[in-house]
Amino acid sequence: MSELETMIVVDGAGDGPRQRYELEDVGFREVPKQWRKFYRHWRGPGDALAPNEVICPICKVVIRSTRELRPGDKVYCMPCMSRMVVVRGADGRLEADVIF
Amino acid sequence: MSDFLSQYSIQRWLEACPQGYLDGTVYGYLPGQSEPEELLADEGMREQAISTTVQLVAGERAALAASSGLVNCAPDDASKLFLATQTLDEARHVEIFCQRLYDLGVKKEDLESTVARYANPNLVKFAEVLLAKVAAGDFIAGVVGQNIVLEGMAFSVFEMMEAGARQLNPKFAHTLTGTIADERRHVGFGENRIGSLIKQHPEKREEIEKMQEEMAYYMLAAFNDVFSNSPPPAAPSDAPEAEWHGVNLTAATPAQMEELLATTVIGEFKTRLNRIGLEYRQPKVPA
Repeated sequence: MSELETMIVVDGAGDGPRQRYELEDVGFREVPKQWRKFYRHWRGPGDALAPNEVICPICKVVIRSTRELRPGDKVYCMPCMSRMVVVRGADGRLEADVIF
Repeated sequence: MSDFLSQYSIQRWLEACPQGYLDGTVYGYLPGQSEPEELLADEGMREQAISTTVQLVAGERAALAASSGLVNCAPDDASKLFLATQTLDEARHVEIFCQRLYDLGVKKEDLESTVARYANPNLVKFAEVLLAKVAAGDFIAGVVGQNIVLEGMAFSVFEMMEAGARQLNPKFAHTLTGTIADERRHVGFGENRIGSLIKQHPEKREEIEKMQEEMAYYMLAAFNDVFSNSPPPAAPSDAPEAEWHGVNLTAATPAQMEELLATTVIGEFKTRLNRIGLEYRQPKVPA
């Protein structure tokens, strides 16, 4: 596993097994081919996120994981080259906070 | 995780950009794509497209001057390398939007007079505020002005324009898609690099917030000019719906478009500035 691949998701806290997801390339061409399945374009405020997805607050791309995300997980946004940690927002949904 | 600065390399830029999403494009669009015939045949629509594209050329020329100027004031090699890639991105944007002017019928010898005729004076002042910081060698203020304020505005404007053009003008939409992908890297660098630097230089906050207030003033004045003083012609009644941030762009009035863009861009400014430890300053309402 390359350094970049380990940066897509780093385990945070959480109990119990996580649901796993098969990711497919859904046409996000902004990163090299082998990473495309980890990202998709956000379709705006009505776009519901799956439990394995979180929006990059900097560049508004949806980051996708092969596993359900939980608070404390660290994710990497390759399109804008930002690192972030998954947190639970005030409305109960998962969000990402940028790590400077 | 490794130091974030180590990500900024020419190699990564090559893989993502020229060998990635720009591969196979010509001036940012796909071979064979062209401006819609209806647009080229309607003088009012064509002139509006020229005017809009001139604003993009003016903005990108400012970004090119700023990013190239910032290379020499960057405090580390990784930032210099990133800004060198950004300089090429901005130069490409200038070139592709100039190419669009030629595609719309502007003659090469008329380029400068066309830019001078249509460039919005408030957009020019917006750029001057930024370029004064760059000329003074102020890296932190320059990156906030360039990669957060200017790029933040461009990001929202390009997204809205791309949503509006997706059905009506796939060639222009494709050109914008590539620039949006570039802007993602630029805003990412701005926040990541300045987020850490502003903590080390809290004394810079006052000056930078004042610059942001001035730039936001001219930006809102430019939006006001574009949508209220010389509103674009209404879309044809049979135009396909185009939605952005919950608003139907095809049916929106110029006032609604101005409000949508202003609130979206300002909202993004507030969020981005807060994240890096700065406070958004509301400018006086433009006349």
